[in-house]
Amino acid sequence: MAQAVIFPKLGQTMEEGAIVKWLKKEGDAVAKGDILFEIETDKANLEVESFFEGVLLKIYVREGVTVPVNTVVGFVGASGEKVPDQPPAAEAAPAPAPAAEAAAAPAAPVAPVAPVATPAPVPQASAPAKPVALPAPVPAAAKRLVISPRARALAQAACIDPSRLKGTGPNGRIVEKDVRALMSAANYEALRITPAAKRLAAEKSVDILSVRGSGDGGRIMVEDIERALRRRPVTLSRMRQIIARRLVESKQTIPHFYVTVKADITDLMTFRADLKAKGLSYSVNDFVLEAVILSLEEFPVVNSVTDGVTVSWRGDVDLGMAVSVDNGLVVPVIRAAQSLTLAELNAQTKALAEKARTGKLLPDEMAGSTFTVSNMGMLNVDQFTAIINPGEAGILAVSSGRQVPAVVNGEVKIRTMMAMTLSADHRIVDGAVGAQFVNAIRAKLENIDLWKALV
Amino acid sequence: MFDYDVIVIGAGPGGYPAAIRAAQLGKKTAIIEKEAFGGTCLNWGCIPTKTLIASAERFHHAAHSEVFGVTAKGVAFDYAVMAARKDEIVKRLSGGVQGLLKSNGVTLIAGAARFEGPNRLSVVQPDGDTRWLSAATIIIAAGSDAAMPGFLPKDKRVMDSRAFLDLKALPKRLLVLGGGVIGCEFACMAAALGTRVTVVEMLEDIVMVLDRDVRRVLRKRMETLGVTLLTGAPLTGIAVKDGTVSGMYKDQAVTGDLLLVAVGRRPNTAALDLARAGVKVDERGTIPVDAQGRTNVASIFAVGDLVTGSIQLAHAATQQGVAAAEAAAGMKSAVEKVCPSCIFTSPEIGLAGLTEAKAQQLGRTVKTAIFPFAALGKAMAAGETDGFVKWICDSATGQVLGAQTVGAHATELIAEAALAIRNELTVDEVGRTIHSHPTMSEAWMEAAHAFHNACIHLPKR
Repeated sequence: MAQAVIFPKLGQTMEEGAIVKWLKKEGDAVAKGDILFEIETDKANLEVESFFEGVLLKIYVREGVTVPVNTVVGFVGASGEKVPDQPPAAEAAPAPAPAAEAAAAPAAPVAPVAPVATPAPVPQASAPAKPVALPAPVPAAAKRLVISPRARALAQAACIDPSRLKGTGPNGRIVEKDVRALMSAANYEALRITPAAKRLAAEKSVDILSVRGSGDGGRIMVEDIERALRRRPVTLSRMRQIIARRLVESKQTIPHFYVTVKADITDLMTFRADLKAKGLSYSVNDFVLEAVILSLEEFPVVNSVTDGVTVSWRGDVDLGMAVSVDNGLVVPVIRAAQSLTLAELNAQTKALAEKARTGKLLPDEMAGSTFTVSNMGMLNVDQFTAIINPGEAGILAVSSGRQVPAVVNGEVKIRTMMAMTLSADHRIVDGAVGAQFVNAIRAKLENIDLWKALV
Repeated sequence: MFDYDVIVIGAGPGGYPAAIRAAQLGKKTAIIEKEAFGGTCLNWGCIPTKTLIASAERFHHAAHSEVFGVTAKGVAFDYAVMAARKDEIVKRLSGGVQGLLKSNGVTLIAGAARFEGPNRLSVVQPDGDTRWLSAATIIIAAGSDAAMPGFLPKDKRVMDSRAFLDLKALPKRLLVLGGGVIGCEFACMAAALGTRVTVVEMLEDIVMVLDRDVRRVLRKRMETLGVTLLTGAPLTGIAVKDGTVSGMYKDQAVTGDLLLVAVGRRPNTAALDLARAGVKVDERGTIPVDAQGRTNVASIFAVGDLVTGSIQLAHAATQQGVAAAEAAAGMKSAVEKVCPSCIFTSPEIGLAGLTEAKAQQLGRTVKTAIFPFAALGKAMAAGETDGFVKWICDSATGQVLGAQTVGAHATELIAEAALAIRNELTVDEVGRTIHSHPTMSEAWMEAAHAFHNACIHLPKR
């Protein structure tokens, strides 16, 4: 009997997703464990394997269409077996709680989002040319065009956008005469366009009156139409849309304030080099994370969350770590980081970063952080501020170490200084606490005896 | 001020048109040539090879026309006469180039130029004296020479294409190193005159710039001509001994009386002392330029073979030279992007625009439309049914992005395709254009119909 292929739920918070790519076609043989399709969730692209063996008999859900989890997307069975033309109703599944969208309550951990401005993470599957994931915004669509069929046909044949026309017919209806009037006013007959450019313009509904030609004598070339097409709005990837929504929510609901300190990491760098010589490889980031974890233990309010009415301590330090990836930025979470040794922290950080870079993070590995560190140390920046992930009370923006002249015991020395800026939720973190918190982190980074004890 | 408005270095197919165009635009112009007016193309490239190929084809037709009802007995050739005819034509054309330059008022200067500054050159003249010249604009058109890799034995039996053209007799057995355009052209010419030719190419096939289907036709015909094509491995252990050149291809020994080296061309930039002018040269010795042919130094242009990414064809250099001269005169000319290539093998090959492989590499969705000469009346009448024409089209709009043709007169046929591609026609315009019957060019129209699976002269598929 044919087996239904289900759109899987890959994380507790996952409600829906889209198949970005089918790797099998209808009629293809499928072995157990073969990758059937790739899906795009809020946070990542993941491959889905077949649990069954046979032939992919039917595909119901095309690439790019967003469906709820547990939707039947196809059937695998014996060759020639009959399957329904229409997909059966979604498999019984717990109804998604509508509250999941609701704001940042600690009980409903939300997606950590990119805290820094980075290039849009557009998954490769949704190339700009085919923004299929969501309907593209059509600004003019709101206003229904009243136009005669003849006028519409003429405008279409001439590659003119009818919405730019003023109707002179009854009730402002656009008639053929109006199209001709515009063509004459715009000197349409003098317009030069190559056959291929005109064909492309017609196919993509590009208004050629608004295109400047770059060919001989201003002739419109294919390249010019392509340039016009690139100006059209492209639907953001789901990941980018989530990021956009969360960051706006954060900036609009969380009163941010910022405190910057510069830590002198000269001795830490020396200590790190000594460790390296002994075969122990730690990154500056490891020390920063550990200093943050220890400080969060000292300042529980920074590891808390508020909805404006109540405040809840998050308990464990589930530390979010922003990792830059090819198509944007992800924030894997180090669970109960306060319980890890420095060596364990180092190992976990490495493993999560590697998973992030290879796109192997599971949605649950990117949800529910209680505080986030965004380290741009390797990106050559002097200082920056980050946006708090809703559900958290703060985020630490770590910049590059810089050799600068610094005053040490009344003398000018060359020291390596690293700026760190805390963004904090002023509803629960006061300025003084924020200042103490960042100074606690700095003190730890500058205290080599501490690191000697921890390594 | 400067001695000249424009000085052009090199009087090849890039340089002399640049000088003529600059002079036409009212610039006081000089051109410096160290060797022979007309450059490689005219003296040691396009023209002499095509002259010899014409001789080879005459012989081949004379000897192989029985099916046409023409039988010739005792057909023979005299290579020395062929070579003398070639020399005569080269001499006439080279004189013509000098005449054209003079008639336009361009000053001709013999000697080897090198930069002394961004606007200054020194020229070592044939008599040994050095002359100093300055110009507001300098156009570098010094061309390229055949590459002779260091691992080759230094021997008179190991030669580049230029030395090969000076031969007064063809060898009995010819070894060709490199199955690119030049290697294959010489191989076909020599084979048509009875030489046993072996071509060794390191890449997986000959003339890799072509699509596979075109290569297949060429390969088959070359093998029919008696050329041995050894591809996918290098020629190693090359040695000259007892009047023969030998080497190893995989574990097979190959020998010839001569080795023709055709492994690419090197830009003639080293001797120009470009650093003195501040002109940037990349690691391959070629000069990067912008869309108008301007180097990083605003008053210095470069055209032709020594430009980074150049297609290394005479007609490409010519267009670049004209564009550079116009840009130097303040016009907004740009180097054209569509450049047809002609390969004078047997059969001939023409290509323009994108190949199918390149279009796919660029991520374009393409559809090809092919018409075989075997289905064309004129081709049958002329006994030239090998080969085909092929459009490479955008599958959505039908725009012709590229074209390739292999077969008789392919190098002439490609001109129509270049015009269509450059002006962004679709298969519909090509298909609706009336083509004369009976001609080979009808194939382009038929192939355009093939895009819509609507050929009149092919059985319905």
